[in-house]
Amino acid sequence: MDTTQLLKGVLDLAVLAVLKDEDGYGYDILRRLRTAGLDEVGDASVYGTLRRLFQAGLLNTYVVPSEEGPHRKYYGLNAAGRDQLNRAGKTWRNFASTMDALLDERGVAA
Amino acid sequence: MNVATEQDEYLDGVRRALADLDPATRDELLEDLPEHLTEVAAEGEGTLVERLGPPEAYAAEMRAAAGLGVARTTARGIDDRVAAGVRRLRGALGVADRKAGPVLGYGRASEFLRMLLPAWWVLRGYLVAMAITVLTTGSGFGLLPRLGGSTLAAVLVLAVCVLASIWLGRREAGLRPVWRAGIALGGLFLFVFGLVGFDKADDHGTVWFDQTQTVSVNQYEYVRDVYVYDQYGNPLTNVRLFDQDGNPIQIGDPYRCLSFDDYKAKVEAIGETYPYCPQRPPYLVAPQPGVVAPPDRGEPIVVSPTPTEPTDTPASPEPTGTPEPTPTN
Repeated sequence: MDTTQLLKGVLDLAVLAVLKDEDGYGYDILRRLRTAGLDEVGDASVYGTLRRLFQAGLLNTYVVPSEEGPHRKYYGLNAAGRDQLNRAGKTWRNFASTMDALLDERGVAA
Repeated sequence: MNVATEQDEYLDGVRRALADLDPATRDELLEDLPEHLTEVAAEGEGTLVERLGPPEAYAAEMRAAAGLGVARTTARGIDDRVAAGVRRLRGALGVADRKAGPVLGYGRASEFLRMLLPAWWVLRGYLVAMAITVLTTGSGFGLLPRLGGSTLAAVLVLAVCVLASIWLGRREAGLRPVWRAGIALGGLFLFVFGLVGFDKADDHGTVWFDQTQTVSVNQYEYVRDVYVYDQYGNPLTNVRLFDQDGNPIQIGDPYRCLSFDDYKAKVEAIGETYPYCPQRPPYLVAPQPGVVAPPDRGEPIVVSPTPTEPTDTPASPEPTGTPEPTPTN
């Protein structure tokens, strides 16, 4: 199964999760997602997702001047973002354990 | 190919593919792209198109992830135009939201306003109690909703309305859109009602303040002496003043021209009379025909009897200084 299809549903949660402990700028967030194992995540998807999460009022942004190249726009979780991360995280864990149990029952190899 | 040119070309390609979006949204989406392209270019070999795919695909992916729907290239109908207008309005509100936030000390103005929601619920309850009182009893807008004139009833009505408003406020988010629109409309009505009511209450306060101001002023405080003139403009001396009850009127400064002892002697001889300083007329009244005007300002005034002057006037003028005939030439 193509991971990209799965990723579409949970990219919001993944972006919120990598911002949990530390704010980051766009490329930095992309790198964190890839380091975490989400190799197939598209650059444009991450930026689009960041924009949508910001529009939904879940993220703060601020601009940090950089010596080399253009200024960097940092994203961070606000209170609503943390709240959303906790709720969506619980939903995902429930869903994932349900799927695990279903596959175990049918004897599908892990 | 030049690195900067390649990045600019890619950026232009993405921008063209997003041309149907309103400018604010498009700029927002593209804000991070130059920096990102720089990073990708610095990362390794290969052109941007090889690494990221064609700009159109990049734009489509970003658009999909941002929840903005697919590109529309066909002619736009009225629905689309309305939708675009709403989107643009939302974009403008979003920008205002973010611009106003730092002024208030928050990331977004809406974050701050959201915290004020419970305060609005309490105010809304208060205004409902006030509206019930004004509409049922027709009384004015005061500080307490005095239903039936009882303070206890007022406090009870207030408590019930405020608690109900808070209860409703906490459940508003889960209600159907129709109900929420109704509540918003009611809130707007209460807001206007409150503004009008408080404005009226304020007016009452101002009128009351003005009345007390007028009462406290003594408009004769500055008077130090009293000069009386007859109908021809001749100054009268040794005039006595009485009020409607026959009590002598004492105003001014009795020691203006006389020492304490001289004044005492004068009061014992002829009583309290005005002016205190007959030798110093403060001004001249326009002389009438047949009346001799004072020869010079500052000098004792000599009054000559004239044929038209009534002789039986009680306060007939008496020359106070040495009688001196007016020089005639």
